[in-house]
Amino acid sequence: MIRSYNAKMIYNLYIFDKTGKLLFYTEWNRFKQSGMSRNEEGKLMYGMLFSLKNFVTKISPYDMKQGFLCFKTNKYALHFMETPSGLKFVLNTDISAQKVREILQQLYNNVYVNYVTRNPIHNLQDSIKSELFKSKLNSFMKQTHIYLSK
Amino acid sequence: MASQDVLFEFLHHEIVAYCNSKSKKEKEDVSELEYIGFACGYRIIERLTKDWPRFKEELDMLKFLCTDFWSSIYQRQVDNLRTNHQGVYVLFDNEFRFLSRISEGNQYLEFAPQYVSYTCGLIRGALANLGITCIVTAEVHLMPACRFHIQVQKS
Repeated sequence: MIRSYNAKMIYNLYIFDKTGKLLFYTEWNRFKQSGMSRNEEGKLMYGMLFSLKNFVTKISPYDMKQGFLCFKTNKYALHFMETPSGLKFVLNTDISAQKVREILQQLYNNVYVNYVTRNPIHNLQDSIKSELFKSKLNSFMKQTHIYLSK
Repeated sequence: MASQDVLFEFLHHEIVAYCNSKSKKEKEDVSELEYIGFACGYRIIERLTKDWPRFKEELDMLKFLCTDFWSSIYQRQVDNLRTNHQGVYVLFDNEFRFLSRISEGNQYLEFAPQYVSYTCGLIRGALANLGITCIVTAEVHLMPACRFHIQVQKS
């Protein structure tokens, strides 16, 4: 299988609520697992994000409104978005992806709000089990400019 | 503007949750929910038809229900209306507003009756104030499509 690391790709998505619980995880292209269970990975990710946010605000030479946005490695970039209600969206993409913040914002507005918040059956403290949400999420991602199917 | 119809949606969810919590039996009781819809439908039809002349016949009333009534409450029109011209009418809505956020297909199908009984009452109340006594039931096989069966009672 030829993997082109320079192609635009979305790797995976995490959604956390304000208490740090992993509400949703999905992956589109993940070539290496972290070696720990999903829950542990979620806790690690959440703890790291929490520390990063605090660190970034403390070290900042300016007064900042938004704070931590993303980090980049040589193979992937992690993009972070927090809503006023404390929901945290984490999206891993390849390094050449542009305007990922807009995508995360649209994901929240068009997919999460419509199919999770407006779903009366779903209890907002639980993890997301709605098939409708999953299928809308997948079709939303497929039409973004950074998605490339294998 | 968009926030106004979301308000109604959320209120409806809470009404359903409230009726479920109030119901003392094991099985959830939708008759209270249906009565709430009846009372609303009875009054809302008065408000919606205030500028209209009297309807000539039953079928015209049903057509009004499918177009103006449905679009002012659910922002869409009923997709199909069938009748046997002997007092039985079926309204088809392929994307019923209260079910369209829940699922597409079979997931959560067991919760569907709770979210359509308010509307059954709404239809029954609206027709009652127009002079038609009827029984309204709903069928959901594949979300979010929904069918409302109206059986007119001849007194």
